[in-house]
Amino acid sequence: MPAISRRRLLLGAAGAWALTGCSRRPAALPQVSITLAPAYTQDLYGSLRRILSEHKLEVRGQRVVLKPNLVEYDSATPINTHPLLVHAALEAFSALGAAEVRIAEGPGIRRGTLELAEAAGYFDTIPGFERIFTDLNLDDTSPVHLAKPASRLESLYLPHTVLGADLVVSMPKMKTHHWAAATLGMKNLFGVVPGGIYGWPKNVLHWAGIDGSIADLHRVFSRTFTIVDGIVGMEGNGPIQGRPKAAGAIVAGRDMVAVDATCCRIMGIDPEMVEYLKLEETQGQTREQGVRQIGEQLGRVRTDFELLPAFSGFRLRRS
Amino acid sequence: MQFVWPSVEASIRNAQNRDGGWGYRGGASWTEPTAYAMLALAAVDERGESYQRGLAWLERGRRGDGGWAPNPSVDASTWVTALAVLVLEDRPGAAALPSACGWLLKQSGRESGYFQRFRDWLLGMSQEENVSYSGWPWYPGTASWVTPTALSVLALEKGGRGGADPGRRARIESGRRFLMARMCSDGGWNLGVTRAWGYSQDSSPETTGQALLALAGFQEQRLERSLGCAEGHLHTCRSAEGRSWLEMALLAHGRSPSGFPKDAPPLRSLADRALWVVAEAAARGKNVFLS
Repeated sequence: MPAISRRRLLLGAAGAWALTGCSRRPAALPQVSITLAPAYTQDLYGSLRRILSEHKLEVRGQRVVLKPNLVEYDSATPINTHPLLVHAALEAFSALGAAEVRIAEGPGIRRGTLELAEAAGYFDTIPGFERIFTDLNLDDTSPVHLAKPASRLESLYLPHTVLGADLVVSMPKMKTHHWAAATLGMKNLFGVVPGGIYGWPKNVLHWAGIDGSIADLHRVFSRTFTIVDGIVGMEGNGPIQGRPKAAGAIVAGRDMVAVDATCCRIMGIDPEMVEYLKLEETQGQTREQGVRQIGEQLGRVRTDFELLPAFSGFRLRRS
Repeated sequence: MQFVWPSVEASIRNAQNRDGGWGYRGGASWTEPTAYAMLALAAVDERGESYQRGLAWLERGRRGDGGWAPNPSVDASTWVTALAVLVLEDRPGAAALPSACGWLLKQSGRESGYFQRFRDWLLGMSQEENVSYSGWPWYPGTASWVTPTALSVLALEKGGRGGADPGRRARIESGRRFLMARMCSDGGWNLGVTRAWGYSQDSSPETTGQALLALAGFQEQRLERSLGCAEGHLHTCRSAEGRSWLEMALLAHGRSPSGFPKDAPPLRSLADRALWVVAEAAARGKNVFLS
């Protein structure tokens, strides 16, 4: 775990607490970019640099934490965020002058995080991976009070690595989800909840209400950026047992609700049906008109992901 | 199994924090890695200064309700109490044991409670899992899962040497029935979900080893299939923790270590190293989770 001063931690936790109760009123529409990426190739390194440039991210001297989605490994299906995309993000943030870029994740099913990362190709793809990686399940923690929780939670113990970060970058895989309809930037934050305290799975979140818990975690982290691996996603019985589905796109932006809503539209899911997005919508980001979309046109990358029967009513009509 | 104790002994000792506990990968002391480090030391009869300092850290961590928190900053007793009990049971007469076992006996999964089952029935919510048997949760107020149930069964069984308290025996039996009910179709165990949305779920190495170890001595024909599943996992498992649990479980069910893989996987964490040592000792006839 990286060193973290008590002052820095308390300031981070206090900031997160304070912002939990604040409404978010950005002056302009949130910007979301769609970048074509047909395959996991070396081109991703240039693409990620362009994406960060488009969003004018200022991270010089700051501590950045990349939070990919590592769940389970199955060679037959793409469950996890591809390591090449994570490495491309790491290089891009480093090139922008970040003081430190760490990769951190706390899988919700498998305890052997490093073995999972190794199987998923992270050791082979990212030089010195073990040195720059933090297992959030086993990181030291502090309690964070949730001022206006959307779930039945009142507080959560959260890892120092993410509480002390200047920027948390959620890097989910674009997948359907058998409980939440879709798992994207916001749902990916489940991985910051420490299994070392709450167990595997993080069942306390399920009992508190999945949608509300997703919303609560989103409120804790006030400064985030999201980069969604939609190059090859997953449809059907996600997030583990679904089938590969290529969308050929990277979706990114500062506003997690807007990014997730845009991904839903790409997947053919009506974002206004997704409960956790509605809970966190502050300025109409679940509507297409509520987002300033740049890059590739959404209609050109939309590819309907197969939905489980329970979510058949979530299908987005084609305009 | 590759014998590694002399080479990891120093690394376990060196990883001990000044307060007497151990962290997962450095960092502050947590109950789980401290318990594994102490079980490893006990497995090789190393009860010197390092062990005593660990014991003192563990005893200081006992909470007013008799349980243990995952680390001192957490204000709740959780599943790690089972690990503390497993350590303390090597010290007959330890004052903390009765209240710790009492805390364990009071815990059960929320899904198996009468109120929850009645509520689910009223709401017409169908359960894909059998919720008739009471296991143990990771965290109070949540559902039962395989790992905390297996460790709690082991803790209560190990502590039951001196008597046959009927309440304790009933919970052990219920925990074992819970484990049998959560067996995956391949004969192994995952975290505790056999089906989701009608789809069968696969087992995983660590939980298969833990469940089988807790079921040592339990008579049921289906376990034969489980042992075959465990042997399959053992030959493909990448994790030292998984290999250690599987080997201890197979030994406890009378399988021969001659068929186990010989090479040691990377021992990346303190839990990896400690459990590997515990499994080595089990292969030589001393399993600290059972004896």
